[in-house]
Amino acid sequence: MPRRPDVPAYRPDLYSSQAVQDPYPHYANLRALEPVVWLPKHKVYAFPRYAECNSALLDDKTFISCDGVALNPVTNRLSGGTTLGSDGEEHARRRSLVAHRLTPRALRGMKDLVEGQADRVVEAAVRQRVVDGVDVAAALPAAVVPDFIGWPREGRDKLLDWGAATFDVLGPLNGQAVKAVPDGLGMMRFAHTVAKRRTVLPGSMGDDLLRAADEGKLSHAECPGLMIDYLVPSLDTTLSAIASALHLFATDPEQWQLLKSDPSLIPNAVNEVVRFESPLRAFSRKVVRDTEVAGVALPAGSRVLVLYASANRDALQWENPDTFDIRRDASRQLGFGHGTHGCAGQGLARLETQAMLRALTARVDRIRPAGTPEWARNNVIRRLRRLPLELVPA
Amino acid sequence: MKISVDYDRCEGHGLCAARAPEVFQLNDDFELVHRFAGGTVPPELVADARAGVDSCPVAALRELT
Repeated sequence: MPRRPDVPAYRPDLYSSQAVQDPYPHYANLRALEPVVWLPKHKVYAFPRYAECNSALLDDKTFISCDGVALNPVTNRLSGGTTLGSDGEEHARRRSLVAHRLTPRALRGMKDLVEGQADRVVEAAVRQRVVDGVDVAAALPAAVVPDFIGWPREGRDKLLDWGAATFDVLGPLNGQAVKAVPDGLGMMRFAHTVAKRRTVLPGSMGDDLLRAADEGKLSHAECPGLMIDYLVPSLDTTLSAIASALHLFATDPEQWQLLKSDPSLIPNAVNEVVRFESPLRAFSRKVVRDTEVAGVALPAGSRVLVLYASANRDALQWENPDTFDIRRDASRQLGFGHGTHGCAGQGLARLETQAMLRALTARVDRIRPAGTPEWARNNVIRRLRRLPLELVPA
Repeated sequence: MKISVDYDRCEGHGLCAARAPEVFQLNDDFELVHRFAGGTVPPELVADARAGVDSCPVAALRELT
């Protein structure tokens, strides 16, 4: 792919361990350059600002997903047959098969269950007092999501590792991605076994899928991929948001007091957490027809990188973007993506994260840092790996 | 200003209703009610309405004029 002469290049690797630990200075550098920046290491045009990310996500006829959304051709070739990696009617058909169970409308009946579970998680954590916030954050998604998808009881202990591996292979083909291949394949193998032996829980989403295949609405061969489609992004991402919320409120007691004094801020606080620490840093798209972005001609066949986590810190879009403030209107953040491919599970993710914040505001007086937090290394996901906290009971 | 709602896309996330309650509401079944459907949003509500449109996570809302 010939590089356009009028596009600046940014040489540092956004996927190095340094950049993964501390990505925001790199994003600020990218945004300061131009709306479109060439990343020579990955041979991709990055969109670091909000406007271009937003437009690209809304124009799914030009910026397509069916040639994959990863930064490497191997994963992109393998991701045919998933909802993530399809377009148009094919995408709509796949999405409609399961997404109808994930809308806030469909989740109404789950609210009490999720809130009850969140309350038990927080009650146990407060009793322990000094906790790893990552364990606290993992507990609710782990209790709710696998049942919902219908994953059999055996194999659940591997889900987080498998999920993280699947995200790793959606990055460039670096050492991190190569290391993740066995776990990524482990998940695929398990999903195939589950679909073949029909060990999904009755009444679950997975059960729905297999029935739809029995009725001829999709082929049985599609079922494992679709199960992975919904299982992989439903654990790590929500865990990330809940853990980041704990971290942000621990380091900013004023925001915590604000949330406690006015719990009606909780829904927007979730948006602000996802804006400030976007769980998914970036996905790519392929340009399928010649197009122009911010005056730059992008030829068909180019690959672009939609940097959600950078768009969410763009000063052209947000006032004081590097300040965490639950009072700002964060509803247009791009952390769940946007448009046709917008996160299908965001209703469930919001429900879980809001439930955790509601339980925490009710049971916890103060959240105190109790050690140095550590960020996990992953090619796509930004999440804490360790978060020592003290929960002071209310 | 006119707004179109694509009810096939709307999933009932309610961000528009939180952002612009005088323009958008969710009924008890989490279905979107656009108060000015088929009509024009009054000038004093245009800014809120636009923020509501921008907040839709599934791009079900579009500003027409």
